[in-house]
Amino acid sequence: MKTLWNRTFTWIDERVQLSDVMHFLEKKSVPVHSHSVWYYFGGVSLFLFIIQVVTGILLLLYYKGSEELAFESIQFIMAKVEFGWLIRSIHSWAANLFILSAFIHMFSVLFEKAYRKPRELTWLSGMILLFLGMGFGFSGYLLPWNEVSFFATKVGTDIAGVLPIVGEPIMVFLRGGEDVTGATLSRFFGFHVAVLPGIFTVVLGLHLLLVQRQGMSKPLSYERLPVTDQKTMPFFPNFMLRDLLLWLLVLNLLAILAVFFPWELGVKADPFAPAPAGIKPEWYFMFMFQTLKYIPGELWFLEGEVVGILLFSLAGVVWMFIPFWDKKSSRGEENRFINYIGLFALIYIIILTTIGWLS
Amino acid sequence: MALVNNNALAIVLCSVLALPTAFGTAQAQDQCLTCHSTLEDNASTAFKGDIHFRNGLTCASCHGGDSHTDDMEKAMGTAAGFIGVPKGDRISVACAKCHSDAGVMVKKYNSAIPLDQMELVGGSVHGKLSTSGREHIAQCTSCHGAHGIVTKTNRSSPVHPLNLPATCAKCHSDATFMRTYNPSLPVDQLEKYKTSVHGKRNKNGDPKTAECASCHGSHEILSAKDPRSQVHPTKLPATCAKCHSDATYMRPYGIASDQFEQFARSVHGQALLEKKDLGAPACNDCHGNHGAAPPGVESVSKVCGTCHALNAELFSSSPHKKAFDSRKLPECETCHGNHEIVAAKDELLGVGEGAVCAWCHKENSNIKGYQIARTMRSLADSLIVSEENAIMLVDEAEQKGMEVGEAKFKLREIRQARLETRTKVHSFDLDQFSEVATRGFGSAAKVSTEASEAIDQYYFRRWGLFIASLIITILAFALYISIRRIEKEQVQNR
Repeated sequence: MKTLWNRTFTWIDERVQLSDVMHFLEKKSVPVHSHSVWYYFGGVSLFLFIIQVVTGILLLLYYKGSEELAFESIQFIMAKVEFGWLIRSIHSWAANLFILSAFIHMFSVLFEKAYRKPRELTWLSGMILLFLGMGFGFSGYLLPWNEVSFFATKVGTDIAGVLPIVGEPIMVFLRGGEDVTGATLSRFFGFHVAVLPGIFTVVLGLHLLLVQRQGMSKPLSYERLPVTDQKTMPFFPNFMLRDLLLWLLVLNLLAILAVFFPWELGVKADPFAPAPAGIKPEWYFMFMFQTLKYIPGELWFLEGEVVGILLFSLAGVVWMFIPFWDKKSSRGEENRFINYIGLFALIYIIILTTIGWLS
Repeated sequence: MALVNNNALAIVLCSVLALPTAFGTAQAQDQCLTCHSTLEDNASTAFKGDIHFRNGLTCASCHGGDSHTDDMEKAMGTAAGFIGVPKGDRISVACAKCHSDAGVMVKKYNSAIPLDQMELVGGSVHGKLSTSGREHIAQCTSCHGAHGIVTKTNRSSPVHPLNLPATCAKCHSDATFMRTYNPSLPVDQLEKYKTSVHGKRNKNGDPKTAECASCHGSHEILSAKDPRSQVHPTKLPATCAKCHSDATYMRPYGIASDQFEQFARSVHGQALLEKKDLGAPACNDCHGNHGAAPPGVESVSKVCGTCHALNAELFSSSPHKKAFDSRKLPECETCHGNHEIVAAKDELLGVGEGAVCAWCHKENSNIKGYQIARTMRSLADSLIVSEENAIMLVDEAEQKGMEVGEAKFKLREIRQARLETRTKVHSFDLDQFSEVATRGFGSAAKVSTEASEAIDQYYFRRWGLFIASLIITILAFALYISIRRIEKEQVQNR
């Protein structure tokens, strides 16, 4: 058996120099410190994304992206296709866990200042991946064409439409017309299975490449330790096996969620029916949605909603470019201001999401 | 509908003659009437019998001008405010000048006539613009006439109950005229009315029976499709009940006065009056409206069959048709009643308590019908049980979070079959009834199987999860041991 393995390895090595990769992995090490646990969330996000791709492809075999058949095709997947219910539930749960894991990953990177030079592009590509992930969520939410998703999409695209000058064209572009119709569904389906995955794959490749090239970031406190006190572990196999262990636990969690809390399908969307009470967006948009509710109808000479969206856009840009304006961290100095901003954002998101969820 | 025709030549002649007249004080100075009376024209002749004349009004009250002078130029001059024969809306404006003025009607004449007639007509269907677009469809004179106006209780009034049908028919029976306003509105209302009980009594001089205004109102008439109209389906029963629920009013006619109460309790009444379901029948749907009459024994099934077509058809081809006809039993009414028709539930079928079949089919006298009724009821009951069982299983599967949308949809097939059996009862043919019931049983079996499978699947998933979790946990544990072993080896190698 060992001979066969060696022969196979040698056969591949002669052609693609696999030993170079093995050598690189053996040399690669991961810092060990009290915050090492946060390193795993990048891997968990990646694992969940892979699950999304696999289950998404399986769903694609039966899903029909049209106004007349979308709901029925999901119904068919859940009731008639062998393990269709499991695939769909895992796809939906994994999507939410992916966003959660990505958020945790982002905040851990922020608090550790892991974005500092030379990892500005890694942060930037990570942020783009998070936005794309939220785009996946927004576009995928409509695909079952049920009542809740239909009206949530209507509200979501309406919000985009209130922006001055660009709002209306953006809304029409997203909807494929003036209203949320079958054209919107086709469009969102296209975004969800072709446009976004394409862009995501490229950015993810870049993100992973940068991580591999630059290695794991070391916290400032760790860097200040004498080299002899800087504990590390080999990436391969130690860190990779730990990653794998966590992936198994996440897989188990997904299976439990899918079986005990199967993702509901609800009632088919009826564009002529009045919107049901309590329409809410997905939880990761909730803090923004809830904030817009609190902003008065008019602020100065602008619509309150417009002010809210502009403020969120501004905050998003500022957040995205943190590595470029936080020079202090790049110089290796402690920057508590970033911690306060991060803490404020975290508490704000948790509180507003909770209020939105309970209201 | 002109009030009078001017005859210039006659008036010139009149002004020359200027004969004295012997009318009352006010009218003594009414030179217009003096002059026109000598001409013996219709207007002046009729005006002498007019209620307005009796109350001291003169020609100038409506036509303007100066009725005190015998100088025709002055009397009919624009300086004196003479407007001639009012045309179009100016007719009603002239009437409203007094009839909408409390100062004139109440203070001066102590009249109890409502002051809002003009306003009501304006909002009514007759207050819409005519085809010319210059005036409203009807003016006061269209119904009340012009110079010979008398109170509506006066037998000669065109709006007296005995004359009103003909007055309305002047326009409403004129197909050419009506086509210009409402081509879909029938023009045979008067003809139908003449055949109705109301119409016959009206013709025989009974002013108490309903005529047009009794149901449609007078000045405030609205289209029957208008929810505010007294004859809108949701209001019609109450409109009929104004007379028909008045026991004192109905006593001379020997008619019961509880129809409205019965109807309100009936399945039709509840649908129409409570749920505002316009598909449910109002009084006129069974009795006719303008030709209102109680349906005869032979026409009851035709009346009910207008809506319940399948039931009526099945009944007509059933053995009961002949049996009912020979006994002169009203077809539908015999089992279902008339005004107080209750929802047709399965309890009506069979031979038990509350079942109508047993009224005629006795165990010892009419055994075949008795057995068929009993079997049908037994099948109907079994179908209900099957449906309930299927619903229970579907609910259970749904509560367990299983996708049973298709099974839920198929529940409709059972319900459909159950409702269809209620129709098929009217064939009184056990084979036809059983065929539908069997279809229902088949659907119930399918739904129950699907729901049961979903429930089994629920438990299968839990077992599957347990096994999968166990495998993953073992793998994770093995991995953990492996990591520990590798790291231990690494420490030892250092």
